Amino acid sequence: MRRYAIGMAVALALGPEVAAAEVIPFEAGEVRRVLQHGPWPPPVTSDPSNRMSGDPAAIALGQLLFFDSRLSDRGAIACASCHVPARAWTDGRPRAVGLAALDRNTPTVLNVSQHRWFFWDGRADSLWAQSIQPMLDPREMGGSARHVATVIRADPRLSCLYAAAYRQPAAAEVDDERVLVNTAKALAAFVERLGTGRTLFDDFRDALARGDRAGAARYPASAQRGLKIFVGKGNCSLCHFGPAFTNGEFHDVGVPFLVAPGRVDSGRYEGIRQLRGDRFNLLGPYSDDTSGASAIKTKTVELQHANWGQFKTPGLRNVAFTAPYMHDGRYATLREVVRHYSDLDMERIHAHGEQLLRPLKLTEGEIDDLVAFLETLSAPDATAAPGAPASVAGCP
Amino acid sequence: MRGWLAALLIAGIPAIAVAAPPVCEPPRGFEGQKRLESAEVVVLYRTLPPAIKVGQHFAVEAIVCPGRTAGGLVVDAYMPEHRHGMNYRPRVTGKGDGRYLADGFLFHMPGHWQLRFDVERDGKTERLVTDIDLE
Repeated sequence: MRRYAIGMAVALALGPEVAAAEVIPFEAGEVRRVLQHGPWPPPVTSDPSNRMSGDPAAIALGQLLFFDSRLSDRGAIACASCHVPARAWTDGRPRAVGLAALDRNTPTVLNVSQHRWFFWDGRADSLWAQSIQPMLDPREMGGSARHVATVIRADPRLSCLYAAAYRQPAAAEVDDERVLVNTAKALAAFVERLGTGRTLFDDFRDALARGDRAGAARYPASAQRGLKIFVGKGNCSLCHFGPAFTNGEFHDVGVPFLVAPGRVDSGRYEGIRQLRGDRFNLLGPYSDDTSGASAIKTKTVELQHANWGQFKTPGLRNVAFTAPYMHDGRYATLREVVRHYSDLDMERIHAHGEQLLRPLKLTEGEIDDLVAFLETLSAPDATAAPGAPASVAGCP
Repeated sequence: MRGWLAALLIAGIPAIAVAAPPVCEPPRGFEGQKRLESAEVVVLYRTLPPAIKVGQHFAVEAIVCPGRTAGGLVVDAYMPEHRHGMNYRPRVTGKGDGRYLADGFLFHMPGHWQLRFDVERDGKTERLVTDIDLE
């Protein structure tokens, strides 16, 4: 009976001639879960809290600023120093190094427009509010509102693009903090466009959706088996949900949060506290969303004891290019990450946390298959350098 | 026994203390609602938008009957199998006459959820629950 049910489910998706030799059997529920990971790419949307979202002059300004080390103290470091395009916009280090060493791994900014919260602890509720923090953090770029505003006002090209975007020269804006926020909004306008293209997985997923057996059969068998674990007994897709492979929320997955003797990283718990105290959050005066709709998450997010030790579910697109892994970069390879969930140490899961994870106890072959699947989530354009900034009329 | 019951009914005395749920008719314009009821309380509710999707905010509109005696309403959600609720606490606004709007729901993973309505009435809280299976 069970074999019959499986056969029916695959026949539903792929037509009556499906043979396990080409496309392995997927149950109906597994097929539905696979389809939820697409379509890709998602439609381009604008951020209502950022009136510069989609503005060509702001995108060009943001791109120039992203690679401009003058925004940092003594011109030492740029956004791109850690978010290196050739490394899928990460730095390849376990933990980031700005002007000083930091405690967490540098996440990629690719496809970041699909996220609800920003940073591993979600302490920023918009991409532009996120962009402000590294500029000011003494451990990262060590700048200030005054410093950023001075750089923008003094550079002819930057100030021209600023004026084209904001219809007002930076020199005429007396409030340095306003220039800082506008700079962050331009950075966000650029970064939110850093989406990546289709992958081998997307081709398989779409072939499933249209019942194209031959197209689906081109997906490697090991990746198919890994995908079946991912949406099936692995329960990975509960949190790595949807087209971006993240539910955008926070979980304790048993990674120790002791950073150094006597010092812990409480993750989401402190993230919510900082969010509430951030004058640049979506409840503050700098949001451009007059409807207030985008701030509902900030109004209603709840600080719970279970938030202690939780970190954001990372999206898995391009994951083969973004090693090392986990919030503290403790694992050098995808195999180590899969083994973490296979051999999960339940003693490390916070006592008040959710009852979601169990050791998967995977065989070596299953680990190989999961890794093979994860490697098909990377797009060829993930490590490509961006094109030159668009030219804006009247600006050098 | 049947004779006893007939005698009580003839005498105008309720035979068994099983109260019917209060009458609760949805007002015009409150289409697509669902109904939860106990012996003393009825909750009519609908979600906005009507279809709940993982990772997308939604609101709940509710009418509590009898509205005149309702002291308040708390609406929340929970995943019993995972032993966690949402990461958000919806804000409930009373609209008068037993009507409420609860905003700020977000189901952050697929699976079995419970939508819980806690109706405060006469100093007591009564919980009405509905199940939602989300893929």
